[in-house]
Amino acid sequence: MSSPVDKAALRERYERRLQLMVPADMGQLRALPLFSGIPEKAREKVIEKVRKYIHFCSFAPGEEVLREGDYGDSAYYIVDGSAEVVLKKAVADTEGGARPKVRGGAHVPAAQRPGARPEGQMLGRGAATSSTVILSAFPAEIAPGGRTVLGAGEIFGEISALSRYPISATVRAETSLSLLQIRLPGLRMLSASSKEFKKFLDTRYRERTLARHLRSVSLFAELDEPVIESLKEKAELVSFEPGQRIAEEGEPAEAFYLVRGGYVKVSVATGTADLAVTYLRTGDFAGEASLVLDEVWPFSLQALEHVELVKLAKDDLKKMLAGFPGIQEEMWRAMVARLKLRGAATRNPVSSEYLQMAMDTGLIHGESVLLIDLSTCTRCDECVRGCANAHEGQPRFIREGERYRNWLVPTACYQCTDPTCMMDCPTGAITRAVGTLEVQINPATCIGCGNCAARCPWGNITMVEMDELRPDGKHVELASKCDLCFGRPEGPACVQMCPHGSAVRVSFKDMERVITTLR
Amino acid sequence: MRATQVLRPKQPRNFLATLGVSAVLLLVHAVASRLVPWSPKRGLGLAFGIVAALAFVFEMSYPARRPAARPLFTARNWIQVHVYLGVVALLAALIHAGLAWPRGGFGWWLFLLSAWTTLTGLLGVWLQKWIPPALAEGLQVEALYERIPALVEQLLAEADALMAETSDVLDRFYRTELRGRLATLAPSWGFLLDVRGGRERALEPLRRMVGFAEAEEKAKVEDLMSIYTEKMELDAQYSLQRILRQWLWLHVPAAGLLMGLLVIHVLTWVWY
Repeated sequence: MSSPVDKAALRERYERRLQLMVPADMGQLRALPLFSGIPEKAREKVIEKVRKYIHFCSFAPGEEVLREGDYGDSAYYIVDGSAEVVLKKAVADTEGGARPKVRGGAHVPAAQRPGARPEGQMLGRGAATSSTVILSAFPAEIAPGGRTVLGAGEIFGEISALSRYPISATVRAETSLSLLQIRLPGLRMLSASSKEFKKFLDTRYRERTLARHLRSVSLFAELDEPVIESLKEKAELVSFEPGQRIAEEGEPAEAFYLVRGGYVKVSVATGTADLAVTYLRTGDFAGEASLVLDEVWPFSLQALEHVELVKLAKDDLKKMLAGFPGIQEEMWRAMVARLKLRGAATRNPVSSEYLQMAMDTGLIHGESVLLIDLSTCTRCDECVRGCANAHEGQPRFIREGERYRNWLVPTACYQCTDPTCMMDCPTGAITRAVGTLEVQINPATCIGCGNCAARCPWGNITMVEMDELRPDGKHVELASKCDLCFGRPEGPACVQMCPHGSAVRVSFKDMERVITTLR
Repeated sequence: MRATQVLRPKQPRNFLATLGVSAVLLLVHAVASRLVPWSPKRGLGLAFGIVAALAFVFEMSYPARRPAARPLFTARNWIQVHVYLGVVALLAALIHAGLAWPRGGFGWWLFLLSAWTTLTGLLGVWLQKWIPPALAEGLQVEALYERIPALVEQLLAEADALMAETSDVLDRFYRTELRGRLATLAPSWGFLLDVRGGRERALEPLRRMVGFAEAEEKAKVEDLMSIYTEKMELDAQYSLQRILRQWLWLHVPAAGLLMGLLVIHVLTWVWY
């Protein structure tokens, strides 16, 4: 894993890059065509508001701007120069063909475990949810292994940032490149204030990614090209802010929604309470009842965070899908399953309580969350010792954290579906291999900038002081986090070395298993 | 937690298997001792001795489960084997001696140490099943054992800060009645029986103080109550976690001594 790397050079390059990131100047921004879509009256105000999220940065020819497989939180607008987009991976690699082997134990994604329901049968879950990999953000015309060149006025990285998909291609500076880096909040603000900018982004999403996104949903997998094209045309791209209601239980259901980014709570009203039934994530859909039965919304939908959705009008979709009995059958199945879940939630509110807890605490992001049953744990710390033994004496977590009833959620990485820690690594030291769960930090290329630790919303990445000294005499600090004991044939040591079976790892993608475990 | 829950085996299959094996061993002894006079030095008597010695050696290898629990796959399997094989080993040793009282001082030492080690092991099993639910269900606070003294210091500092500007009455009450109790950990065996034991009585003076205190000081007294409650929870955590750690002192040194005597016993038999 660790090939000889000149860390000092990497650090120096990163520091140089930081110096080259210049806060955007009002005058410069005003002159850019990017902002011309904002009505003149509001332009000044909007630019002032988004300015703090915008930086000018420059890259020398050959330097990487984005790396394939990383996660991005920014869109890049080319001010001057040109960028080369290189697509390394064959499409087959990312669509189920030649995936790296996923090891046993806790590493096996929920849907691949023995006895698990096939992903397709999971409630309203598209195929996209079985893996975090969807090609995105770059022109579909690039053949695998091919390249394309983007020039001034072009934008890239926006879909990865908005939908939290891994970046699908590497972008390098072809010439001296001057870019405007727009961070996610700025991107959202611009979309909200400029119809033209939103249209610009939507058009690009529609052209480059929507078809692939639609195909990734098991429901639409069998549709032929003309139907997909027509869906692309009719689809409306909408976004919601945290807490906003998307649909209200009992109201006429006029649309079908497909989640392209973020999390949506599905709930039913029982008395004054809002009982959580399930949640939707990227690739999931809602609204099948309206298509199948012309029913009102049987649930309410609410955005848990900023949510990007693809909205398809009921009548359009109905017409288009009329010739596909397979899809209708699947919709029936999804609807029945969801209604069953609704019944289960109202009959057994405890399940709903667990689900609500997972949503409130952010655990729904976790693909492999370590939980410790405090009613059987003897506090022997064998889990921590096991972890230390597997990592050269340096444990990757401590047995402290949030507590929910008898369960402790220690500060061990959740291996999130869309790891925000991977968004701003200047050296690409933090990675997740396609099709695997483990988000890993390569100590050979980590320069200890602390970006990942600062970004982790749960504080599950720590900066560890090493013996090595920096030129300024301070100790080198490197980021350290749980890597699910990558490469250890027995799987995560914390679970294996617990003598009482109190330590378990669960994926919050599989709420049924979570509820069974917690109960 | 009800006693029945503590007595319920975590892995009923292993419990039943141990019962079965024990029954078979006793049956073999019963049949064999009727056919020929039983002797620990030959035949089945010797075989039982060898089985017991090997089982005790395996028991002593419990620390070898680290780092990867080989060859039993998980640490959970290791502890299960350790517990049940320990019981079988004692039974085999007793059968080896013909289920009779030992003869001679050395025999008594071996007998007493085997019994002590097994019984303290079972005590450990009981503690490990009794204490965790008591901690989880009875207490709100969860803390790492090593950090508890620091947390108590932190609570004291918090209470001192809270009482920094307060009326003389409350200040005197705090200094004379409460501060001392907040300053030091008060471990107690009593928590083993009732994890919240003594709490209500300890809080009573503070409750009374709420009645006396002026309106603006009531909130302070209430804060003080929650600090004191947290301190008492830390006392309970500390006491019970300490018991979970320290029972090993009853078990491990005796097991080591037993192993030493066992080696002498075997060597004596081989040489003489």
